[in-house]
Amino acid sequence: MTGPRFAPGDRVRARSVDPAHHTRVPRYARGHVGEVVEVQGTWPLADERAQGFAEPRIEPVYTVRFAAEQLWGPPGGHWVQVELWESYLEVVA
Amino acid sequence: MSRVNDVGGQFGFGSIVVEPDEPPFHADWEARVYALNVAMLRQGVYNLDQFRDAIERMPPAEYLAASYFERWLVAIETLTADR
Repeated sequence: MTGPRFAPGDRVRARSVDPAHHTRVPRYARGHVGEVVEVQGTWPLADERAQGFAEPRIEPVYTVRFAAEQLWGPPGGHWVQVELWESYLEVVA
Repeated sequence: MSRVNDVGGQFGFGSIVVEPDEPPFHADWEARVYALNVAMLRQGVYNLDQFRDAIERMPPAEYLAASYFERWLVAIETLTADR
């Protein structure tokens, strides 16, 4: 297995997914750009584990912070931190 | 589709009530439901993500009307009835 794709400080976008099963990407974060704060080691993908997969994918999990103002508009002034698996994230060009 | 549990950032649910010296359980049955779920998880009857999934699969109106541990009980029933 290769190492984590992202590092603290990287800007990432939460994918605009809308799966029919359990997922850990909250609706409010989908499609939004955040910043990686911390790499939290590797964990089995909750989406696959929730579906009873015998061998769920193991992926890096990141703490990603989003500006509240970007998610919900003004006044903002705080951050929202979400723990997201690597496959939930895409590179921001 | 987003499920009924995914309410982060929505208006209308009121503020979180913080009770001073809040007990872990507000009724004996809640402690029993908690213990039952721990036993199910430790025995590998289901895993934590399947448990969360079962809560999220509740019909939306029932989900919103249920208390925290009522949702736990529904999920335990759902996951054991499946077997």
